[in-house]
Amino acid sequence: MSLPTSVIEHLQSDFVAESRPVCFLVDNEYRLVDFWGDGEWSGLADVPVGADMLEHAPYLFGTLGRNPQKLNYVSTTSGAVVHLLTMPHENYHYVILLDAGQAHDFLQEKQQSWNELRLMHSSQQTLVARQRDLITELVEAKAELDHHRRDIERSSAGKSRFIAMMSHEFRTPLASIINYADLALEPDSGPTEMHKSIEAIARSGRHLTSLVEAILDEARLDAGQVQLRERNFDLFELLDDLAAMMAPLAAEKGLSFATLVDPDVPCHVRADDVCLRQILINLLGNAVKYTEEGSIRLYVTYNDGRLVATVSDTGPGISVKDQERVFRAFERGSDRVGTRTGAGLGLTITLQLAKLMRGEISLDSLPGQGCTVSLHAPVAVAQDSTPDDALSPPDEASYATQQKTVLLCDDDEDMLALLEHYLHRAGYAIVTVSSGTEAVAKAVTFQPDIVLMDINVPGMSGVDAAAALRDRNYAGPIVALTASKLSDAEKNSFTRCFRKPAPMQQLLFEIKQLTHSLDS
Amino acid sequence: MTVVTSKVCIVGDFAVGKTSVVERFVNSQFSDKYLTTIGVKVDTKEIDLPQRGVQQKLILWDVAGTDRFGDTEFAYLRGASGYVFVADGTRPLTMGTATSLRDRAFEHYGVKPAVLLVNKHDLTGAWDVSEQRLKGLQAQFGSVFVTSAKTGAHVDDALTHLAELIVDRAIADQQ
Repeated sequence: MSLPTSVIEHLQSDFVAESRPVCFLVDNEYRLVDFWGDGEWSGLADVPVGADMLEHAPYLFGTLGRNPQKLNYVSTTSGAVVHLLTMPHENYHYVILLDAGQAHDFLQEKQQSWNELRLMHSSQQTLVARQRDLITELVEAKAELDHHRRDIERSSAGKSRFIAMMSHEFRTPLASIINYADLALEPDSGPTEMHKSIEAIARSGRHLTSLVEAILDEARLDAGQVQLRERNFDLFELLDDLAAMMAPLAAEKGLSFATLVDPDVPCHVRADDVCLRQILINLLGNAVKYTEEGSIRLYVTYNDGRLVATVSDTGPGISVKDQERVFRAFERGSDRVGTRTGAGLGLTITLQLAKLMRGEISLDSLPGQGCTVSLHAPVAVAQDSTPDDALSPPDEASYATQQKTVLLCDDDEDMLALLEHYLHRAGYAIVTVSSGTEAVAKAVTFQPDIVLMDINVPGMSGVDAAAALRDRNYAGPIVALTASKLSDAEKNSFTRCFRKPAPMQQLLFEIKQLTHSLDS
Repeated sequence: MTVVTSKVCIVGDFAVGKTSVVERFVNSQFSDKYLTTIGVKVDTKEIDLPQRGVQQKLILWDVAGTDRFGDTEFAYLRGASGYVFVADGTRPLTMGTATSLRDRAFEHYGVKPAVLLVNKHDLTGAWDVSEQRLKGLQAQFGSVFVTSAKTGAHVDDALTHLAELIVDRAIADQQ
């Protein structure tokens, strides 16, 4: 079918109206040779023949080839959007531009929506991935938290167990103190019994002090981190102390008690005496506790640098199957359950302490045939026979040689009286107060040579009182004497710090050093 | 100074910031509004390369975003002297697209000077390109610039570097 001219003319007219074709001829150097059409919309109106078309239509660059080309939707610098057709003709190129603005805008609208949707989807995917990551992180964090919680629970249980263990260990020396105090208070106690009782009370008191120090020592709270503290000490004195502590307890139950020391055992040794004392107290305490009749014996030998301390009793004994269990926390031999009070921790602690001393515990027992428990531990002979921290009553070397005034602040009347007694005997003039506020007021008035300050006192704490004294230009030494543990910052408020109970000799010596140095 | 005219095509996935990079380079402007490019937008910029004694007129063909080239796109790329591949640093997939487009362009028209712009570095919260990934891209493209069309960071550096590569390549080809 051939189209009638009228139809062709109609189509041509429509095409020209919509596409507004522009046609021009350029040479190989992009110079304009001829131009046809309405150039206004394409930004090419009034371009003179011979002009460099790259200046007006830079998109032509690189498009002129040996074959016809069509590039759709080319946005030009003038803002027009064209379909670009190039056709080589002899030494020239025809360039045809068709207005594509309308179609471009339509397409752009559709494409814009589509791309925004894709971007949204992409963001959504990122969010989902991030959510997945966060959930994974949450799960991991929860697992970590659970792990920490279990650690804390374990630590808390360990701490509780440790406190229970230490409470158990208090019983024996406390029993000794109470019993000896009762003995001393009996009307028919003579001076000898009185003196021996007080000595025993002092020994048990010192042992209790070492236990309290162990509890307060934060580094020791974790049983796995207890440090061995070796020092020179008199082993015979320790054994005598133990005998003095245990013999009355055994006698109360009608048991005989004996300590046998092999001649090879050295008197002056180097070891952790607190550990050793604790182990032997536990072993002897258990023997006394579980033996109803017969005897308790402590036999000490020494061979090749190893101390063996054996505690034998004539108690009910422990069956072989129970022997392992008795060293576990809170457990006793089955035949003993319900028959005795206590946490069942004595042998657990003993075993831990023996391991700390690089030693071991052996147990030999049969039901009905008593029990023999031995500590085997390396103990060195001391090169120096002087104990590292020998305790002795204050001597005159620590007394004042000049008239000095001590301001003494403590809210405990007994402690105040005790300190006053020693300081007075050492030759000091004393001003006593029982509150921080009072201490500051009296120190300002009396200007003492030294202030001895408890920390937990009414009104104003010792730390605050020390700061207040410094604010009021008190320049003398301020010594803390407290049962509390001070932080480093708190310690800085004081010239010296002592923990109660402080050795009196050392305290007096320090006071003398501080007060007398003021004049030197 | 010799005047050299070069056609440079800017290609990459959709919405990576190609048009914004060109707008920043040519007009020192930036718009937050995203406007999809249809077909190709042609712009020009003249830069001086004094060390090479050249004034270069770059005819920049900002090609509509795509993750693969068809006949239309290859037609746009014909006669290009160099390429600016653009990826979005907040959309790691667009870096893979840039690599893929580079390979296809080189297959079709031979190896040409090219730079990769990892764009949108101003979006620090959403930035998702590790140093290791950047090193990998560096090994693939030779020249990688972390850019921000919004702040202008490294956009001029990247385009100037490409212009230098094109001139150097032309000199090498002449010799």
